[in-house]
Amino acid sequence: MTIDEKAGKTLAELGVTDSNAIARLFEQVHSAIDEEVRAFLDGDIDDGELARNAKAFRDRWLARGHGLIARIDQNWLKQTPKESRGAVGAEFNRLRQYAAAQVETEPLLEAWRQKTSALSEVRRGPDLTLPGYERELGSIHPVTRVQRELEDIFIGLGFRIETGPEIESVYNNFDALNIPESHPSRDDWDTLYIDSNTLLRTHTSPVQIRAMRKYGAPLYIVTPGKCYRNENPDATHSAMFHQIEGLAVDTDITFADLKGTLDFFARKFFGEKTRTRFQPSFFPFTEPSGEMAASCPFCEGRGCRTCKESGWIELMGCGMVHPDVLRHGGIDPDRYSGWAFGLGIERFAMLKYDIGEIQNFFQSDVRFLRQF
Amino acid sequence: MLGLGVASSVAVGSDHVVDLEVTTNRPDCLGHLGVAREVAAAFGRSFGRPVYTVQETGKSVHDAIKIEIADLEGCARYCGRVIENVEVRPSPERLARRLEAVGVRPINNVADATNYVLMELGHPLHAFDLARLRGARIEVRRARAGEKLQTLDGVERELAKADLVIADADRAVALAGVMGGADSEITSATRQVMLESAWFEPVGVRRTAKRHGLHTEASHRFERGMDIAMAREAIDRTAALIAELSGGQVLQGVVDVYPQRRIRSTIVLRSSEVRRILGTEVEGPEIVRSLTALGFSVEPEANVSWHVVPPSFRLDVEREIDLVEEVARLHGYHELPMRVRAAPPSPERDLRRERELAISATLTALGYREVIVPSMVDPAENARFTDESPVRLLNPLSQDASAMRSTPVPGMLRALRWNLDRGQTDVRFFEMGKVYTTSERTSEGLPAERRVLTLGVTGLRRPASVHDAPRALDFFDLKGDLGTLLAAFDVGPWDFLAEDLRYHEPGLGARYSARGAALAHFGQLHHQVAREYKLRQPVYLAEVDLDALLALDLRRRTFRSIPRFPAVERDLSLLVPLAVMYRQIEEAVGAVPLAELQGFRAVDRFEGGGLPADHYSLLLRITLQSPERTLTGEEAEVTVRRIIAALGPLGIQLRSA
Ligand SMILES: [Zn+2]
Repeated sequence: MTIDEKAGKTLAELGVTDSNAIARLFEQVHSAIDEEVRAFLDGDIDDGELARNAKAFRDRWLARGHGLIARIDQNWLKQTPKESRGAVGAEFNRLRQYAAAQVETEPLLEAWRQKTSALSEVRRGPDLTLPGYERELGSIHPVTRVQRELEDIFIGLGFRIETGPEIESVYNNFDALNIPESHPSRDDWDTLYIDSNTLLRTHTSPVQIRAMRKYGAPLYIVTPGKCYRNENPDATHSAMFHQIEGLAVDTDITFADLKGTLDFFARKFFGEKTRTRFQPSFFPFTEPSGEMAASCPFCEGRGCRTCKESGWIELMGCGMVHPDVLRHGGIDPDRYSGWAFGLGIERFAMLKYDIGEIQNFFQSDVRFLRQF
Repeated sequence: MLGLGVASSVAVGSDHVVDLEVTTNRPDCLGHLGVAREVAAAFGRSFGRPVYTVQETGKSVHDAIKIEIADLEGCARYCGRVIENVEVRPSPERLARRLEAVGVRPINNVADATNYVLMELGHPLHAFDLARLRGARIEVRRARAGEKLQTLDGVERELAKADLVIADADRAVALAGVMGGADSEITSATRQVMLESAWFEPVGVRRTAKRHGLHTEASHRFERGMDIAMAREAIDRTAALIAELSGGQVLQGVVDVYPQRRIRSTIVLRSSEVRRILGTEVEGPEIVRSLTALGFSVEPEANVSWHVVPPSFRLDVEREIDLVEEVARLHGYHELPMRVRAAPPSPERDLRRERELAISATLTALGYREVIVPSMVDPAENARFTDESPVRLLNPLSQDASAMRSTPVPGMLRALRWNLDRGQTDVRFFEMGKVYTTSERTSEGLPAERRVLTLGVTGLRRPASVHDAPRALDFFDLKGDLGTLLAAFDVGPWDFLAEDLRYHEPGLGARYSARGAALAHFGQLHHQVAREYKLRQPVYLAEVDLDALLALDLRRRTFRSIPRFPAVERDLSLLVPLAVMYRQIEEAVGAVPLAELQGFRAVDRFEGGGLPADHYSLLLRITLQSPERTLTGEEAEVTVRRIIAALGPLGIQLRSA
């Protein structure tokens, strides 16, 4: 029903009786005025027609006798029984004042003039929509960024950072870690040699040996740094890569500390909801040895491309430090025990930022670096 | 759950082929039997061994072959059996399919039988054509000087004296535990088979295999440590299988040379040690059950410890800690408790890390992006930037990566080039890495490693925009950035010196030093080097001694009260002879003892125009301030005059005067 039709009926005929319904009905009339005024101002009217149109519009609402307001007065207000006329009367007075302010010819023409002049006025001052004078900040390499994040978690647990040489003795890199030349486990590391006694470290484990000898127990360290292996590069392998290892040696260190601390670490890095899983494995320098996997941070364990639909992602090797390794570090294995882990930083960065190719890290492409 | 990682599982017919990753410590799992044992132990079930019977003829094997071990260290046990009237032909379909499923190519029934048992029981065997063994005799000995052997792969090998060989009466016929010889190989003409099942010492097999560049199913297993008890079971099983497949007859008995029986020593396992390592109590009965299921013999000792004898197939278990691992493995790592253990608190500060973070923060604020470049370089390229010879690798992947760099410059140039080649022309990079030297050694005799911070910049100072005209980076941008970086540290007085390195554009190289040592070399890259690297725009580089910088304290932050009286600025427009450098003006002004002189800086400089020849104009802005009062104009004038007087000897005059 249009407003015109409604104005021709009484409130009783419209079924409007309670005060809520009355308020709603009058609200509809206010909206109708707003809409018609907007349509009038937006309309394509030339100056000659303007005055005549404004008069016609005004009369439609305000003409005595047949204007909409007059008909509302007649049909709604006057037809309402006296005892309930109060509410309708208040609404009607508000409406009449509003219509006079919006639809009366002079205010209407004034609104029209303002609107057209705003369009034609020449803009002054600067174009504030131009881009600001931005300064491009530099960026930290994603590997460094992740390395520091990993370090910070352990620094928060009171661990200290230890570093060591990248060119190492074969002894520190292998023999002291229970990997004698005579054992096939030595072949698990593709090694770049400088000479028969010197190599490029294949992991940062030699720093553990150095730190044990330097500080003794108790010892809580993480050892970040570059490592190397004799491997042809592919999507996930690079001859140079970064590792971080952790080592805790103290009296009363147990497998529970290994599990609990690494679980804490995984939740801190990948999010509180992360779950971890420990499975047996073998490393010559730890016993018992394990692999820790975490629930996939991308699919929360439901299975996706990154976790090869398994819901789990292998994160690191870990274990209780082998008594021989403690002994090589000058620590009495009957008095002290320890746990250790080792992980590849690039792998963590690839997981964190969803990077598919390890070679991205070492090409120095600004379009890559800018994203971190 | 056991530590046998499942790499893949594929359906083949009605079977499943499960590919397991077996770690180097578990050669007992390099066969179906060992895996079955593990799985049975994990699930508390039993497992069956292969069932077979050896039907022997009346003829004794001892009449057919004589076996002697001359080197007991290398070979602790050697079993031989002989099968006669063998018909060598392809194996039945079912057996061939099974071998193919596990990745073994079927050859003939005899070879297939040995391979089948290798996969089934995990023990390597070798079959000789008995007719080709001279003197019907086997001797296990070290190779003789100059002895040669053509192995099954067709390669004629010169043997080393340390190589353990299987020999007949005259010559070596197999490389023990690694590969058989071509001359005694089973062929379709073979009628009599001499079957070998032995135990070879792991280290010797590993050395021989490495020496000859061989890696075989046999050497892979022997170098990990085989089951000496299995040598006998495997030969019986294989003989039975060959007889079944080839219609041959097994001679009676086994030549089993095993003079010194190997006995595993007893290991004491204490429940206190299980608790100390695992952090939880594992019940005694469970420990006994687990170890027994894995083939260990266990004698309880008052239920606080156990006397454990490991089985012959578990040479990896030698110590108490090895038993603790077995207990943990079968208990399940997931069942073990968790506890977060922090380090005892320490007041020690990691100053090096704080300084490193300050460097990163300063450089990123200045718009530099961090790069990480390879440490390994082409030594020829490296040599163009430094006389310091690099550390060379013995077994590099390629010539391009055959030495550890002794200069960071080529790496930075390659990083810049990568970007310029890809249309990324405005680049500011920093790299914190190491260089490696042969000339210096550490106290341990290792090549010295020095940390170095490298800056590389090129392109526009600011990206092109509507707000200002584009201007290319230049020497002073780099100099200023270095100054900003050094100012983050408590460097003390530092010196500037113009000094070209070999890769600097002549006259555009410089050095900062402090306390008598060079802190940074920087300058514009020589245009010829730039051309060779296809860098088609000016490039500026800095090498900073990072070890020296990190040894310095960060700038001490101490508050000095803010002056209560306003400063007075005076601009001096000076006419300076071209020969006079700014450094000389700085020194002359600095030498005037003026308490009110707060600072001065050059704000404009130009040559030409209406200036007298051989002169330039310099606008020097001077800031004067007194801690006690507001300076009057007169006082300021007096100071300015003293400054001008101090500049007089340099031939500098006031322009406006
Ligand atoms: Zn996933």
